[in-house]
Amino acid sequence: MKPFREQNYYDILEISPDALPLEIRRAYKKAFALYQDDSIASYSFFSEEERQEILARIEQAYLTLINPESRSAYDSTLIASGLLEEERTFRDNSREPITIYDLQKTRRDSPSPARRTDELKALAARDPLIRDLLARETLGGDDLERIRTVLQVPLEEIADKTNIRIETLRAIETGSLDLLPPLVYLKGFLRSYCRCLELDEQLVLEAYLKRIGLH
Amino acid sequence: MESSASRIWPIGGGKGGTGKSFFTGNLGYLLAKQGYRTLLIDVDLGAANLHTIVGIPHPPKSLSDYVNKRVASLEEIIVNTPLANLDLISGAMNNLDVANLAHEQKMRLLRGVGRLSYDYILLDLGAGTSFNTIDFFMISNTGIFITTPEPTSIENIYRLIRSVYFRKIHQVLKTYDFKHLAEEAERRNPRAIVNNPDLLLQVMQELDPEKGAKLQESLGSFHFRLALNQLRKQDSHQIGTLICKIIEKHLALRMQHIGNVYFDDRVHNAICKRMPFLELYPYTQTALDLRECCRILLAREAAAPLQRAES
Repeated sequence: MKPFREQNYYDILEISPDALPLEIRRAYKKAFALYQDDSIASYSFFSEEERQEILARIEQAYLTLINPESRSAYDSTLIASGLLEEERTFRDNSREPITIYDLQKTRRDSPSPARRTDELKALAARDPLIRDLLARETLGGDDLERIRTVLQVPLEEIADKTNIRIETLRAIETGSLDLLPPLVYLKGFLRSYCRCLELDEQLVLEAYLKRIGLH
Repeated sequence: MESSASRIWPIGGGKGGTGKSFFTGNLGYLLAKQGYRTLLIDVDLGAANLHTIVGIPHPPKSLSDYVNKRVASLEEIIVNTPLANLDLISGAMNNLDVANLAHEQKMRLLRGVGRLSYDYILLDLGAGTSFNTIDFFMISNTGIFITTPEPTSIENIYRLIRSVYFRKIHQVLKTYDFKHLAEEAERRNPRAIVNNPDLLLQVMQELDPEKGAKLQESLGSFHFRLALNQLRKQDSHQIGTLICKIIEKHLALRMQHIGNVYFDDRVHNAICKRMPFLELYPYTQTALDLRECCRILLAREAAAPLQRAES
């Protein structure tokens, strides 16, 4: 990181050169909060004088960048001194209409949700590996992972649907006791996990807990 | 000082009561549990607490035996804790004046620590910014700072970090150069110096770019870590990250935020019972937080090459 005194306005606000006005505003608020008098995180670090200097610089950065004219003038000086490439500057595309299709959140060519559920269920019923695992008395985290892999559901998708942190899901799939959440949460997470894969919640829950000795 | 096979992690914090001993003891517990041969050394001479935290109320031997030359080597004062893989050198004092180590005693101790052979050696440093504290903190480049989210603690942490910075400059430049530099810097900025060791670096770079570059490289070799302890519900979770940002931006020192550890009233219970907190309350949020810190520290070790002990 460059020392503060050498930073340009984008560095000071910690934004990229093509940041949107919204991002500039947010960055300004954050920077201001960090250096203002009340801030706990920067308590005692600066003298009163230094603090005012820094806040003045931040404000200057904000005012310059938030105004399109002064911003492009500033960008030009940076480009002229070789500190910025032309391609990286902000271009205002906000007047173009957004195509409807961009609003849909599709990550891959997935069929509609209802069809997906039936597909998963059918696959689980058919696949010999899954049937075999589900028939066992206990299930390990690695078994769950195997089932999930056969059903071709990425962990990110489960994290996204259930709002469970991906590190927690990984911990469940490795089954390391040290990293698992408390039992009360673990049960809930396992249920959500099963629901994503269209597996029998109660069955999997009991088998998993039995394996790790928490039943 | 020769480099040893051990990774040495000094753990310090400007203010007393932030939880250095708590963090050190329980971190050692976690490392030992994962199979690493771990040694805890309580260098908080005069206010040693580590032995209580790990469950050894009356250590049979301690640092004062070494400092007073009743034993010849550090190995002789190592005490086993109830947990396998975890050993302790206690700071519990017999002599009341040993809290102030003479320079030669300190150097002997630093050299001795450098020769021990463990997977991890954790040093529990005292509060404050005495030379002894700072020199122990600089025994390796990977010191861990502990602070709470209170302005009192934060102010003391900044003070400690600046003291370490200052002392490093002092160490790297020979005495004559340092004096000359300090005078020149004072001449240019009459009021600023005492608070701003980074100004010294700036001035050095102008006076003598080569030495300045060497100094900068030396300061850049620090890989500090920061843990925020005793975080309460009403505290902002960002504080740790923000402190690291300030250090990196304005002191150009590497400071990594390794985690927030929640305040838990039950820490009090564990200390009163003189047992490791993680053993009594392994499923609390605080326990999870400690484990997460340990995980991040180990991940960093896996990525970085072995740190050499500082001379």
